[in-house]
Amino acid sequence: MEVTFKDVSLSYDGSREILHHLNFTIPEGTLVSILGPSGCGKSTTLMMISGLLAPTSGQIFFGDEDVTKQDALQRKVGMVFQNYALYPHLNVLDNIMFPLKMAKVPKPERKKKAIELAKLVHIEDQLDKKPGSLSGGQQQRVAIARALAKEPSLLLLDEPLSNLDARLRIEMRQEIRRIQQETGVTTIFVTHDQDEALHISDHIMVLNSGQIQQFSSAETLYDNPSNLFVAQFIGEPVINTLDIADFGDELKGQIDTELLKRTQKVGIRPEALQDHDTGAETLATITTKVKTFEKFGREKNALLDFNGKRLLTTEIEAEIAEGQELPLYLQKSGFYLFDQDGTRIFGGDQDA
Amino acid sequence: MLNEKPTLKSTGKALLYLLPMLVITITFNIYPIIKSFIMSFYTKYDFFRDIVSQYGFDNFKFLFSDPDFHIAVKNTLIFVVGVVPLTVIISLAVALLLNRITWLSGLFRTVYFLPFVTSTVAIAQVWHWIYNSDYGLLNYFLGFFGVNAISWLESPRYAMLALIIMSVWKNLGFNIVLFLVGLNNINERYYQAAKIDGANSWHQFTNVTVPLLSPITFLVSVNGVIGSFKVFDEIFALFNGTPGPSKSALTIVYYLYQKFYTEWKYGIAAASGVVLFFMILLVTMFQLWYSKRHVHY
Ligand SMILES: Nc1ncnc2c1ncn2[C@@H]1O[C@H](COP(=O)(O)OP(=O)(O)OP(=O)(O)O)[C@@H](O)[C@H]1O
Ligand SMILES: [Mg+2]
Repeated sequence: MEVTFKDVSLSYDGSREILHHLNFTIPEGTLVSILGPSGCGKSTTLMMISGLLAPTSGQIFFGDEDVTKQDALQRKVGMVFQNYALYPHLNVLDNIMFPLKMAKVPKPERKKKAIELAKLVHIEDQLDKKPGSLSGGQQQRVAIARALAKEPSLLLLDEPLSNLDARLRIEMRQEIRRIQQETGVTTIFVTHDQDEALHISDHIMVLNSGQIQQFSSAETLYDNPSNLFVAQFIGEPVINTLDIADFGDELKGQIDTELLKRTQKVGIRPEALQDHDTGAETLATITTKVKTFEKFGREKNALLDFNGKRLLTTEIEAEIAEGQELPLYLQKSGFYLFDQDGTRIFGGDQDA
Repeated sequence: MLNEKPTLKSTGKALLYLLPMLVITITFNIYPIIKSFIMSFYTKYDFFRDIVSQYGFDNFKFLFSDPDFHIAVKNTLIFVVGVVPLTVIISLAVALLLNRITWLSGLFRTVYFLPFVTSTVAIAQVWHWIYNSDYGLLNYFLGFFGVNAISWLESPRYAMLALIIMSVWKNLGFNIVLFLVGLNNINERYYQAAKIDGANSWHQFTNVTVPLLSPITFLVSVNGVIGSFKVFDEIFALFNGTPGPSKSALTIVYYLYQKFYTEWKYGIAAASGVVLFFMILLVTMFQLWYSKRHVHY
């Protein structure tokens, strides 16, 4: 089901606005991640989609239908809560069966379905336990099974994997992706883990302090961040951020002077600092001093000093010694300029 | 440590901590209980010199053949069966309503709690007027529905009902507060999950509120059963020191009181106490057994 927000704002107490004028459309059948730091309003957004929370202003549409006034019972979405919210008095099987019971599905069918789902999320050996005696990760999986039980046309997942270990997490996220693609259920997946968002979703909505920063594919987020926040939030290791004042004459002549005048911050991805000349790809050259150089596994991180600021690069091929001078070649892709509002004014596909 | 094994030393230390309370409990609780158990087997007893010349089951035999005691047992059971369910249901209903309204909820809470902090004698005086057959408020209201004046406190048919109504009303305050605490302890997220799972208000009540409130319901009903079995002061105050018209409100404790203080038959009084004790024990054990299966902690 397609979900559309039209100018939706929300305030819990009537004075402090948490979400400001959200406008977006989540296409039918896609998996969209909402990514953002803690407290930015991700759960609040989900609660408004589910109907547990009414927007202070604006409209919500499911397809063409205006559901703003409908409550959670009428909207019939599936949801995994951030705190699981399993019924403490029911065992795992009964928890999974509960939505089916409410839908008046006959008991044998209910049970069969619930056991199938339990197998899917690998908790079929815990069916008789109460949620209180399950680990956090097991509870999360029960919650996922419960949300899937009623085969909703819209599935909302609020950090459903946050409590799982690294391996199970990858397994479960592939499972969620598989189920989503098999059933075609429109899924909204909240996470603050960019890796998870990048791997699982068709589109990512980056949210910060109640505003949508960017809503696009993972690749676009990385290659064409619309502002400094997105550039800093997406990417591991984190993008190098410098003030324009840190540069001397290195950028002069390479970039339009008008643009340079408006520039406040400079963003350079760690892989955009090469130790050799790449010809046409090279934008400028800077001189740096090596502070530390670390190698573990496939990772090579060199920490450099540039006019008193720290730079990180992952692209050093040659053996280098600490303290030595090192010329670095700034690459065109992965180099961005941001104005005083943080908006990107140079870099990305537009300047490739 | 949470999983420490008890040792001789740790047990001794625990005993030392408990000692002051133990002394008080043994002197004022354990000893009298044992004493009254033994007393129920006194068949020949000289009160003034505290000499027991014969032990036996005569007191119990007397109870089983005494029609007054039969009435007392029957009335007690009627009272318990009348008061406890009504108390649970009404106080839960009021608590649910109070939990919904935010307007003046503090005032309402105080109003409902008042009976609990008011003395039984004062309450009985108020109800005396309410029940008054000529000027009483209750008959006045019933008059609107075409019901003829009922002599609540003078007719053997209505005396027990009058007693039950007053007792339920008196119990409400405290139990409402208990239920309110219980309701407040149910996390909002369970209701949210239930709504998402398609539960309407009624299903939310039966599938979330009732099970998650069951520890409080259990507490309220056990407390109510024990308190109701021991009913005495309400009767004494409502019927001016009599067990109601033609013993219509004679209960076991009232019977015990009569035997002990007015007839000085200590052995029989003690024996009726023992019977009451076992009745309460039986019912409470049943409740405990039931709670194992239906109360969710
Ligand atoms: N019930 C509430 N009443 C008042 N304010 C709330 C309530 N729930 C959340 N908030 C506030 O709304 C803001 C957004 O909260 P929200 O739970 O949506 O964040 P989030 O993005 O899900 O964070 P996290 O990643 O930590 O879960 C926070 O500032 C929070 O303090
Ligand atoms: Mg959240």
